[in-house]
Amino acid sequence: MKRRRRTEILINGSQKRVENMAHCIKDKYQVKVVQEPESGLVMLKVRETSQKSLFYPGEVLVIECKVQIEGRIGIGIVTGDQPELSYNLAVIDAAYEANLPETIGWMELLENEEKVIQEQRAAANQSILKTKVNFETMDV
Amino acid sequence: MGYIAVKGGTHAIEESIKRLKYERIHHGQTIEVERIKAGMRGLVDQVMSESSLYNETLAALAIKQAEGNPEEAVFLLRAYRSTVPRKHYSKVIETEQMNVERRISASFKDIPGGQILGATTDYTHRLLDFTLMDETDVAVQEWLHYYQKESFQGDEEQLTLPKVLDYLRKEGLIPPCENNNMEPDDVTRESLDFPSSRSQRLQILTRGETGAVTSLAYAVIRGYGALHPTVGELRVGTLPVTIDHPTDAGDEDDAYYIGEVKVTEVEMLMPVTVEKEYGKKEMEFEIGYGLVFGQNETKAISMGILDNCLEHPTPDFPSHNEEFVLYHIDSVESTGFISHLKMPHYVTFQSKLDSVRKTKKEGTKNEEGQEVKSG
Repeated sequence: MKRRRRTEILINGSQKRVENMAHCIKDKYQVKVVQEPESGLVMLKVRETSQKSLFYPGEVLVIECKVQIEGRIGIGIVTGDQPELSYNLAVIDAAYEANLPETIGWMELLENEEKVIQEQRAAANQSILKTKVNFETMDV
Repeated sequence: MGYIAVKGGTHAIEESIKRLKYERIHHGQTIEVERIKAGMRGLVDQVMSESSLYNETLAALAIKQAEGNPEEAVFLLRAYRSTVPRKHYSKVIETEQMNVERRISASFKDIPGGQILGATTDYTHRLLDFTLMDETDVAVQEWLHYYQKESFQGDEEQLTLPKVLDYLRKEGLIPPCENNNMEPDDVTRESLDFPSSRSQRLQILTRGETGAVTSLAYAVIRGYGALHPTVGELRVGTLPVTIDHPTDAGDEDDAYYIGEVKVTEVEMLMPVTVEKEYGKKEMEFEIGYGLVFGQNETKAISMGILDNCLEHPTPDFPSHNEEFVLYHIDSVESTGFISHLKMPHYVTFQSKLDSVRKTKKEGTKNEEGQEVKSG
């Protein structure tokens, strides 16, 4: 599973699951913290739709952490103030970078979690779609 | 007259700061940051937008410290922002990826995907709801329980919708446009100079003080400008944010997803007459663009109006003058300058006082001289 999809599932899914996944790596491998979780900013780059040029609307606060497992660096970065999550994300990222065998079994876990997220999203979107206007032409 | 150094204010300042704390808490109650976040969405969004820093918890903390005063909260958050390192730039965010929570058009009734009202005060009576005086946590949790129960079986995983502008471009009603990937300027790193770039203008407008941006846009519509705008499309929703690997940037699938930000995006349509070949005149639409953090619809619409004004500078109206607009809408700059007038100006005022006394004295001398002559 590619990183974009994986990190979206990990960040939007159950934090307990992320914790368990990271735990299973920490139990078996030596995890060297390269950078403790620390605050930083990510400047957003947005394409405006009038002339399709780029501009910066502002920054978002993030927490970023870096760890090393089996000589490979993993990065955990997430918006808001979630140091533990960023550390766990870094451990999981390093596990994928190092091609650890545990990551093979995670595929199914992540796909199941993705389904849960999609169901939650669908439910929230359904509620929003209840506010969709149904125009009717009036007889005058 | 030379400068005279004075001291003696330290104790008074310390007591003043204590007094400020007293004013914040003298009812013997405190408001939790989480409750500000939960119940003051509009103010939190406004403060994030004007601070150009997206973090609801810090905005709520700033609001608490500033006792709900947005100008002070924005000042605090901007000051905090300057202490935190910028670690990354996001990959380009394309706003058609927005997961829409609200989307309307005032120009077209039938838009692809439909008009979705979402959460809005537009259709509420502006009557004070006195039942909120006694609202409890238990009551709101019960309401939430029933609200969630009455929905929500659906299969729309993504609520992404086509843009009204794309439809107009296909119809040939607005000119086609290619992506411009030139790196934007950043006014937080390099001072603004004139003529400004489009990216500088948009950045200053989006972090502008809500009231100032709205007032100037209102002035434009009332006649101190040359526009007749309509809301082509207004959206509120969340945008996914991704960053590249710092050393090994790959394609979109290799990026890190880091979370979402909620924004309001507006495209304002302005009809214009353009001259084509052989002097033939045609009507077309131009677009004013607005995008702000959070749900700040009035500000986003106003930004769209001012964006278009500044694309067409004219000396006829100050609202079309970039120096006038961009130098006066920033909350920290404008409130900071006005506020500094309270600081001691003893020396400068003393010199003004001396001048006034001198001219008065000279005036009296002249009057006496004329009296002697005439006498």
